[in-house]
Amino acid sequence: MAAAVQDASTPTFRDIDRSVLRVMEMPGTAYWIWIAFCFSLVGIAAALWTRQIYSGLGVTGLRQPVMWAIYITNFVFWVGIAHSGTLISAILFLFRTRWRTAVYRAAETMTLFAVATAGLFPLIHLGRVWFAYWLLPYPNERFLQPNFRSPLVWDAFAVSTYLTISALFLFMGLIPDVANAREQSKGWRKTFYSILALGWQGTDEQWRHYSMAYLLLAGLATPLVISVHSVVSWDFAMAQLPGWHSTIFAPYFVAGAIFSGVAMVMTLLIPMRKWLHLEDLVTPWHFDNLAKIILLTSLVVSYSYATETFMTWYSGDKIEQMTFHMRYFGPWGYLFWVMVLCNCLIPLLLFSPRIRVNLTALWIISIFVNIGMWLERFVIIAGSLAVNFNPSQWAYYRPSITEIMITVGSFAWFLGLFSLFARLLPIISMTELKEGITWLKKALRKDYAKAA
Amino acid sequence: MSGSVEIVGSFADEIGCAHGIEKLREVKAIGVRVFSPIPSHRIEHAIGKPKSRVRAFVLTGGILGIITALALTIGTSWEWNLDAGGKPVVSWPPFIIIMFELMVLFGGISAVLSFLVHARVPAFEIAEGYSSRFSEDRFGVVVRCEPADSAQVESILRDAGAEEVVRAAAWPRADGNAVVS
Repeated sequence: MAAAVQDASTPTFRDIDRSVLRVMEMPGTAYWIWIAFCFSLVGIAAALWTRQIYSGLGVTGLRQPVMWAIYITNFVFWVGIAHSGTLISAILFLFRTRWRTAVYRAAETMTLFAVATAGLFPLIHLGRVWFAYWLLPYPNERFLQPNFRSPLVWDAFAVSTYLTISALFLFMGLIPDVANAREQSKGWRKTFYSILALGWQGTDEQWRHYSMAYLLLAGLATPLVISVHSVVSWDFAMAQLPGWHSTIFAPYFVAGAIFSGVAMVMTLLIPMRKWLHLEDLVTPWHFDNLAKIILLTSLVVSYSYATETFMTWYSGDKIEQMTFHMRYFGPWGYLFWVMVLCNCLIPLLLFSPRIRVNLTALWIISIFVNIGMWLERFVIIAGSLAVNFNPSQWAYYRPSITEIMITVGSFAWFLGLFSLFARLLPIISMTELKEGITWLKKALRKDYAKAA
Repeated sequence: MSGSVEIVGSFADEIGCAHGIEKLREVKAIGVRVFSPIPSHRIEHAIGKPKSRVRAFVLTGGILGIITALALTIGTSWEWNLDAGGKPVVSWPPFIIIMFELMVLFGGISAVLSFLVHARVPAFEIAEGYSSRFSEDRFGVVVRCEPADSAQVESILRDAGAEEVVRAAAWPRADGNAVVS
């Protein structure tokens, strides 16, 4: 246990403040080396993207018939990662779930940066990125407007709405916390937090309107999160390509998004908890509950794989059956089976209560889930395109160094932004932890019982 | 209320704070302001103010979003009236998605804007009786009253469990840098 909580069975409001605000103190050299490393990778990715813009999409591995591959896989992956943040911050808020308080800010931050990362990929994928604004409806001389029947236009609306609402939700939640940080900091930080806090003083009038606005934002974000990944799935399901054209895609993608998102929350939170000494606030009780969500969504995803296979067989559609045969046993078949291992089999370990509180095991499982969910998107997107209606066109895709490094750069971009946020702003909500302090005390006592 | 005084009571927990507010309401005290580090239903219930009007603004914003989406999708379809195989130019089912997204977008922005307007933030002045501890771990009740009533108010606050009861003038205020200025 960290020293901040003297008697861990009875943490006070001050203990919570101390533990969270300590994280926001000036970080050491190792932190800045990490940030420099992340943004160097982003720089390499940016240079390669610049080269791609200059030379054209020929520098990628995209060739007919596989014109959607790693870039779109990354887009779907990062949008999916974003979903658990809204699940934890909005949906579990509406259900008044006690354990969300310690983890929701990190999940929400992850959401914002994951959507910001995802939003780059449709742009990176464009051959002529300077025409990206053609997606927007604006008055023009030839009366050309976006086609509102196209899922790609729905996607532009859904993802931009999601980015805006996630940013507003995160900002709203931060206001009371930065007001608290303002009172306990000095120098430029005090000025920075003063501006962000908007003069918040926690009066009854402020709380009355704040609580209502926050509740309604959560209410709006809840169906939004379901809609966004449904719309993303329709990018594929609306096309008449075997392997894509399926009615199961929307719920299947939403479950997969939450599955991968919660896994990413764990991937980030477990090392962060250790490095930032947050053991007294983020307890195994929280991870136990996150693990249960991973287990549930893993079962839903496994069921979806089975249903998809059954529907293909039951439809009697030879072309669809061939697509799935190639998916399971074709040249990329091994990717499918690695995906099954990561998404369906390894998460079954979480049925064990002991594994659900073993943070090392959880972290390893979460990495497998991340790999599995990335592969799932790749297998669906590139795999289905490679084996289309006409066997004479069949061709498999090989990624170029440009695509690989831009993918690596996207992870560095996401991790760099998240790391900057974690040391600059409260990565754990002090206000909500205080609100549910009774439950935190119970969680800590439960830990002690387990440790004993 | 010329010549009035402000009494500040500082509480360690929300239960005592809510109790104090209820007692003040029983004696029909006016000008009660509460500071709290956390949102508290107990305190909100004790104060007994009506529900926030933010709701109405969010509803209006949501409806405005739907109307905007309808105007956008139908208007642009009419602007380039393309007959594709005799299909309706205004094929509304896919437009529902745009209507939904703009409803959420406009509703969400309305929620934040109406919160800013109603809660009067950004606040450029420190409210009378505010202390930095009310953003950290203490609950504050500030009562504006006539000097003649101050003894009764102080006694109510003490009986409810206030740790400190002082005149606002003697209260250690937050420094000037505490709010946007």
